[in-house]
Amino acid sequence: MRKIWVVVRREFVEKVRNKWFIISTVLGPLLMASFVVLPILMAERGGAQRRIVVVDLGTVDLADQLVGVLRAPLPVTATLLRVEVADLADVADSLTALVGAKEVDGYLIVSEEAVEDGTVEYRGSNVSSMADMQVLERLLRETVMTERLGRAGVDAEVVQRARIPLRMRTLSIRGGKVTEGSGESAFILAYAVWLVLYMAILLYGVQVMGAVVEEKTSRVIELLISSLRPFQLLAGKVIGVGAVGLFQLAIWGVCAWLLFQQRDLVLRLVGIDAGPTGGFAFPAVPLETIAIVLTYFLLGYFLYAAMFAAVGAMSNSDAEARQAQTPVIMLLVIPTVLMLGILQQPDGAMAVSLSLIPFCSPIAMPVRWAAATVPIEELALSIGLLVAALLLVVWVAARIYRVGILMYGKRPNPKELWRWIRTT
Amino acid sequence: MQNQMVIEAQGITKRFAGHTAVHALSLQIPTGSVYGLLGPNGAGKTTTIRMLMNIIVPDEGSIRLFGLEDSGRDLSHRIGYLPEERGLYRKMRVLDLVVFLAEAKGVPRGTAKREGLEWLTRLGLGDWIRKPVSDLSKGMQQKVQFISTILHRPELLILDEPFSGFDPVNTQLMKDIVLELGRRGTTVLFSTHIMEQAEKLCDSVCIIARGEKVLDGRLSDIKRHHGGLHLILAVEQGVESVHALLSDRSVVAKADNYGSYAEVELVAGSDPQRLLEALMRAGARVRRFEIAEPTLNKIFIDIVGADAATPRAQEARAHA
Repeated sequence: MRKIWVVVRREFVEKVRNKWFIISTVLGPLLMASFVVLPILMAERGGAQRRIVVVDLGTVDLADQLVGVLRAPLPVTATLLRVEVADLADVADSLTALVGAKEVDGYLIVSEEAVEDGTVEYRGSNVSSMADMQVLERLLRETVMTERLGRAGVDAEVVQRARIPLRMRTLSIRGGKVTEGSGESAFILAYAVWLVLYMAILLYGVQVMGAVVEEKTSRVIELLISSLRPFQLLAGKVIGVGAVGLFQLAIWGVCAWLLFQQRDLVLRLVGIDAGPTGGFAFPAVPLETIAIVLTYFLLGYFLYAAMFAAVGAMSNSDAEARQAQTPVIMLLVIPTVLMLGILQQPDGAMAVSLSLIPFCSPIAMPVRWAAATVPIEELALSIGLLVAALLLVVWVAARIYRVGILMYGKRPNPKELWRWIRTT
Repeated sequence: MQNQMVIEAQGITKRFAGHTAVHALSLQIPTGSVYGLLGPNGAGKTTTIRMLMNIIVPDEGSIRLFGLEDSGRDLSHRIGYLPEERGLYRKMRVLDLVVFLAEAKGVPRGTAKREGLEWLTRLGLGDWIRKPVSDLSKGMQQKVQFISTILHRPELLILDEPFSGFDPVNTQLMKDIVLELGRRGTTVLFSTHIMEQAEKLCDSVCIIARGEKVLDGRLSDIKRHHGGLHLILAVEQGVESVHALLSDRSVVAKADNYGSYAEVELVAGSDPQRLLEALMRAGARVRRFEIAEPTLNKIFIDIVGADAATPRAQEARAHA
């Protein structure tokens, strides 16, 4: 036990002292801060100077109304241009040239057809901007609607009342109780859980592999193996790197929480006045979810780290290890590819089976948990299966590791690998 | 306690896919000896040592260290092991590494720090303790490896090809330390394929070839047993009679005859004294008649045959 501790401490201290650890630890919060600041900066800068020309092909007064609507609350400058149908081609050419010269962002061609069968055309340099087009389309729809109703003789005030928009608030029910979290925030949380788990298991698992390969290629292993049992080495290495992982995640977690608490301050620091909307909504994270994520991170990390260690022990160089790791990474990628399926139907057959299969459950179960209610029996079964698989994998990996670390030369084929596992 | 065996191996055998690396090898290494495990490359030296350290498990046979049943790894605090292929963590600081390797053998952290510092200073690495290992030259790294082998004051040193790759200055330094430890009662087992090294350092040797023991015992006994038949002969007169006598294949097995000087190997069982009498009777005036100690190298080649120095490949195929 004491010897495992010696290995754990070395692994931890050396990894934490490494400049990559320091760089990535600092970069994490900066990245998070940019998540808070950037969307606001983008929104501020993005909407500012949209200049469009409304080309009026002889509407009764739709174009005038439209220019009025566009002018009112939005950062859009609209200019009205009345054009005869015959001249449209020439006018369009010169307007296109203006868009090309960035004098205007685009032009909207409105005719009576808009009222009659809803045909409107917009040509511009910002058509790929979802936000711009959504705003434009919504305004157009409302203006055309008002115009149609007005022509049908509906009172303007009635039209006004009919246009009051609908807002549906979604609240998720968990464990028979209505929670504060909305449907949207559950989705964001599940997504964040997936991202963190996938990255953490992959990154730290690969680090274990790198550490094993390093000991093998530098031949330090020859010195170590005379005083440490392979299992002590393996356990120390996996626990050490895992501790580094938890340490880094903890730093990031605290940073994220502080950032969320102090986001107004952060925004003011970069010169943005935080409005009442205040950046993006940070989903409330229930304590059980944190516990579940941590449990599955640890179990999943141990599972994959053991496999990565075995891969490292089989390889003679970093390059060889990177090739040999593909099957292990594929296992981890499966739940990732099927992520959207899990999120859309957290109680569907696919989500349930993925959250029970040991190699997928470390990611699939916490994502399901964050997105919906999971029966406690299913959770227990999932953890039980995962632990059983973990013990089996560690047993096999330790045997491969034990033989592999002293083998140089060519990588073993499956038959030789089987012999490694069987030898006493 | 002087006669107690530090290492007792009984009939250990290790087979790898396709060939037998070590076959029915028995070793007795007495406490306090400096013991050489000799053999050409690929003879099974490293495999034998790894079995002694319980890094690999013999297929047959048994090993006792210090008269105990415990495996080499559980006794690692009493053993200093320097493997043949050895490396260090390149990014670790020198002192941290020395301390870690000592702690892995069960030395308390404080002691490891103090003694590590002492050894590093003694071997001229005092200015380097905070530097990463990768900054050290190859010779300095070898010193660090050596320190980690002896820092915990082992009773038994097992050195696998300890001087391979060392420059002459470092070789001398390490030899001195090994001999000093040997004088203080540490048992030293080391393997080498360089017979001259073994000859200078060892009091006992075991020669193995192709995984089997060829010869073992105290070096002086071996030399006496195998050395009585070698003569150096120089005469002043009667060269012809010497030539006739040396051509007698019932007495002389082989002779390098340079006229008035000859190196002679007698047939087994013949008495050098008889040859001297015969020379005198024949009227030769003997200037030098010396029973020479053969070098270990010569004994090795005589017994094993030069072909044993070309190991493995064919044999591996034969067993496959």
